[in-house]
Amino acid sequence: MTADEAWRGAGLEERATAIKVQSRRRVFVDLAPVDFKAVVAWLVTERGFTHVATVTGIDVGSEIEVIYHLAHGALVLSLRVAVSKEEPTLPSIVDLVPGATFYEREVHDLFGVAFEGNPDLSPLVLPDDWPSEIHPLRREWPADRIHRRLEGT
Amino acid sequence: MAFTPIPVGPQHPALDLESVNFTFHVDGEKVVAVRPRLGYMHRGIEKLAEGRTYHQNLYLVERVCGICSQAHTICYAQAVEELLEVEVPDRALYIRTIMAELERIQNHYLWLGVTAHQMGFETLFMYTWRDREIVLKMVEEVTGKRVNYDINYLGGVRRDLTPEAIHEMRKGLDQLAERTKYYTRVCKNERTVLKRTVDVGRLSPKDAEALCAVGPTLRASGVKRDIRADDPYAAYEETPFTVITYEGCDVASRLWVRCDEIQESIRIIRHALDTLPGGEISVRVPRAVPAGEAISRVEAPRGENLHYVRADGSENPARLKIRAPTLANLLPLCTMFVDMNIADIPLIIAGIDPCIACAERMTFIDPRKTAQWSWSSEELRRRSVQWYRKR
Repeated sequence: MTADEAWRGAGLEERATAIKVQSRRRVFVDLAPVDFKAVVAWLVTERGFTHVATVTGIDVGSEIEVIYHLAHGALVLSLRVAVSKEEPTLPSIVDLVPGATFYEREVHDLFGVAFEGNPDLSPLVLPDDWPSEIHPLRREWPADRIHRRLEGT
Repeated sequence: MAFTPIPVGPQHPALDLESVNFTFHVDGEKVVAVRPRLGYMHRGIEKLAEGRTYHQNLYLVERVCGICSQAHTICYAQAVEELLEVEVPDRALYIRTIMAELERIQNHYLWLGVTAHQMGFETLFMYTWRDREIVLKMVEEVTGKRVNYDINYLGGVRRDLTPEAIHEMRKGLDQLAERTKYYTRVCKNERTVLKRTVDVGRLSPKDAEALCAVGPTLRASGVKRDIRADDPYAAYEETPFTVITYEGCDVASRLWVRCDEIQESIRIIRHALDTLPGGEISVRVPRAVPAGEAISRVEAPRGENLHYVRADGSENPARLKIRAPTLANLLPLCTMFVDMNIADIPLIIAGIDPCIACAERMTFIDPRKTAQWSWSSEELRRRSVQWYRKR
């Protein structure tokens, strides 16, 4: 098994709902929220994916996609889970990868996704007095609406 | 017993540029714990990007950082070019590489200067900033600008290297190589430097990896990881170079990694100039980008930089995610302070070369005195220099 193939194995392939090998160095994997943490644990402990490069949030309508970019040599393995906008919660992975702490907090600030198990989800990039209902990177909050809400008009 | 919290920032605590706040919990002179707070400079660039075209975003991305803008535009352009399935001409890839390494040299020189200033070593500060001008002149010669060069296009670069510019660049590189050798000697032998940096701000290799540190911060803890070597882009695949590591895990090692990296950058640029391919410097690309997603990584002067682009087929990105290296190094930074002296704070912060987009006041909390007080970074810097002078 070469380094580029390090993600291959039952721990991931049996749980993935879709796998897209975009190139030798870029692989995208869709996972259900219930399976996701077990896959991360497998990748970290069995396959040495200890580096979480970042966590990306994307508003795709009724859901929010959360993508974990794990890196191993040349490979960036992106694990994608979707959560509903009504109840956006995911298990935190900071017990497996402590380096993901701030990335989870950033996604919590900007998209309102709660990471259960992250000991501190206080604002990281937003101000202390930021209204809690505004998740600035969600589609329902275009820049002018945020502006109007902050101006109180 | 609660410890004394000392707020540091939000104005830049080390490089006098940007805003982050650190609250230090101290027990007398010793730091017990630290809590960072960002948010003073969040500019909403990712939100802005969604309302702009791919071409406009190039200029937005250029402005994510004042001194590592090339790292951001290369990263962004590569992601979009992957989605467009555009083959960027070789000459453009080499020019991108040359500009990226010139940027690394000017960044490391700037950093060396401010770090020297934090030690109270003003002579080194003045000399390094004088010599940084050599790089800035080269950059200006090629791009017309000293910062925010705007050299990258989607599909190539905006300006070619003229024979005159190449000639001047070679002369400048010879001068820089000589000066860098001298500064490296100073950094490895000068008592002031060693006293303030050796065994200061330790980050074990285990912590560095677990906390996902990047760049010179990671390599100074002996972990050999560099995007240019691991996930090569531009012309790095064809360029021989050494990934510099030191085992000291302290500020001194972070200093030496950067000194040696300047020499490596000079070698990379010389090699690129020697083997510079001919031909076009850009290809035309369409305005609309087909639906898909792409991840691009670049080794910025401070470490791994990552851009993620999601396209929906229109002329604007559906999502542009940027993770600059400083965010990755902030958590590792917090562990470096533990058990260090208050007087070490400025140099430890400087050690990661923070670029928060940067902290002036610091809050200090001491439980024994039930006291809380604030210092500006300048006050803390002066106090630190005085504190060490007595030792």
